Amino acid sequence: MEQPRCIAFTGIDTYFGQRLIARLASRSPSMRLVGLDSHDPPHLAPEMCFHRVDLTRPGVGADIAEILVKEQVDTIVHLAFKNAPSADRDADHEIEVAGSLEVLHACAEAKLGRLILPSTTMCYGPRLENAQQLLETTPLLGHEGAHWVVNRVQVENAVERFRVSSPDCAVTVLRHCWIMGPRFSDPFVRYFEPEWVPTLLGYDPLLQFVHEDDYLAVLEAAVLESHPGVFNVVGEGVLPLSGYLRLADKTNIALPRVLLSRIPGTPIPLASSDTAEGFHDYLKYIWVASGERLRSEFGPLTYTSQEAWSAMVSARRLQHFR
Amino acid sequence: MTSDESTREAGTSDGEAGHLTSRFAASKMERLRTALTGLGDEIRSQQRRALDSQQEPSTGTEWGSLFDELRRRVGTLGMAERDPTVDDFGMEAGFVERLNPLLDFLYERYWRVDLSGEHHLPAKGPVLFVANRSGLLPWDGMMLSHAIARPPAHLERPRFLVEDDLLRLPFAQAQLARVGAVRACRENLDQLISRGHSVIAFPEGARGAARSFRDRYQVGRFGRGGAIRAAIEDRIPLIPVGIVGAEEAYPRLGDTAALGRLASLDLGLPVLPITPTFPLLGPLGLLPLPSKWVITIGKPISLLDLDPSSANDDVAVSHLTEALREKVQRLVEQGLDARTSTWL
Repeated sequence: MEQPRCIAFTGIDTYFGQRLIARLASRSPSMRLVGLDSHDPPHLAPEMCFHRVDLTRPGVGADIAEILVKEQVDTIVHLAFKNAPSADRDADHEIEVAGSLEVLHACAEAKLGRLILPSTTMCYGPRLENAQQLLETTPLLGHEGAHWVVNRVQVENAVERFRVSSPDCAVTVLRHCWIMGPRFSDPFVRYFEPEWVPTLLGYDPLLQFVHEDDYLAVLEAAVLESHPGVFNVVGEGVLPLSGYLRLADKTNIALPRVLLSRIPGTPIPLASSDTAEGFHDYLKYIWVASGERLRSEFGPLTYTSQEAWSAMVSARRLQHFR
Repeated sequence: MTSDESTREAGTSDGEAGHLTSRFAASKMERLRTALTGLGDEIRSQQRRALDSQQEPSTGTEWGSLFDELRRRVGTLGMAERDPTVDDFGMEAGFVERLNPLLDFLYERYWRVDLSGEHHLPAKGPVLFVANRSGLLPWDGMMLSHAIARPPAHLERPRFLVEDDLLRLPFAQAQLARVGAVRACRENLDQLISRGHSVIAFPEGARGAARSFRDRYQVGRFGRGGAIRAAIEDRIPLIPVGIVGAEEAYPRLGDTAALGRLASLDLGLPVLPITPTFPLLGPLGLLPLPSKWVITIGKPISLLDLDPSSANDDVAVSHLTEALREKVQRLVEQGLDARTSTWL
């Protein structure tokens, strides 16, 4: 199977869901697009047929499988992940982990040819012992203090089991690092948005970013062509955290750990079970992933880490002047 | 000029804090000015072009491009001219260059390093240097890489591997990475070599750094043979190096258990060393003493005739590792013999 004929999407209302659908609808009009979501999307592309599916309902996998068979879907893009972790750990777990399990179940039942799903390089976990460039084969240790990372690691483990049990389905996992760009926003982008950025005193890890357009292009390529495997979607080049801040002329407020965890709302809202280290360790230790496999499979990306960062900063500055 | 002068005026009247803030504001103004220089000329030239081609209806696009230019300039305000580039391992080439005078001073004046055996250095890398580790801070790695990077050898600066304990120290991690230190582990070694960088490894690791003054220059056990395995699998030559002098730069007279616990709790130090100056002089005691250094570079060892699979042969690897340790020990002894006095 090369070019898919009918593509199903979960999470069509997410930022990348909307953009990917718009792109596919305009570039490949011969393809049929099927949307699955728990609520009616505000703007539905006219060429798209929509099915209401609640991923948190038990036994929804069989219903999805039925839809997939009826619509003759051959490729599914599973984007139903939360953009921002909420304070309700169980609800996040329901939609991300249980929902993904249901989708995997449906894929196996409908004998789908291709599955694409996003993950994050945060799954490797920030650790002093990390290699300078983490390969895709590095075990996913995550971080216990961050429930959204734990969820993604659980999803990845489930996908790994699925890959073994359904060898006919080509699974593409795209582990992206923090996404930067003119429009995209999530808690990590919002952490970097202010002109004063609080950081951890005494630590200055190397960080990498990927541009939202690059990530979208990789997503589209993974849908249209067959690229089974796990890929780190990361921009080329790294800079220390302080280097990015200096580049953008932002003020780096280095605070000791005790003070940093006491700043209200900084950096992201945490569920009661999460610890401050769940985010701070990502500003403390290295977790840079290697993009070599991605570049050899998908070709070079358009933007480097530094350019992705600059794109985000300059877009925010312009909004400020408007 | 004028802004600079007014800054100074303001500084003297408002005191230190006022001086700092106004200087800050001045630097921002300076950046704004550089971001917008040439914009006026551009507007004028666009205007002229627009006036010249007034009959043609396509002037709108020209103004559009001018708007784009303004957008770009405002968007990148303050992001100009500085480019803190680092490589994949966090080394900042520009920073090392700026540091060179200091390194030259330490090399020539402070420790008066005698380098011998430089004819053993290969013209082309990558190679794996294996040396004895000594001293609290990795000055031995800094000096050896500087010896190789400066004339007469003038090769690409090799990266040196540092033990985890050192990186656990706050502030150390970022600064060490900037000058070319990389955490010692097999993945990093392989990645450095595959990118064509030469590497300096200290197989003794933290044990070498924590050796007491009584046992100085007794090269300790060489870990699990990672250096040998890497040399076999990555097909690169090994060069043993003996470094003499770094032990006296931080003579470790002892450490106490109670202080050690305190240190590992709060500072993350593997041991709290007691040297003639530390902790007596506080952080100032971290300054190394001006001992006389001798760096002896040994004959390269080629393991190319070995089968790559022998890297998994533990017995062979441990024999080779022990032979390598003895070579380094001999080079250290050579250096000690060549040195007439510890301090002169």
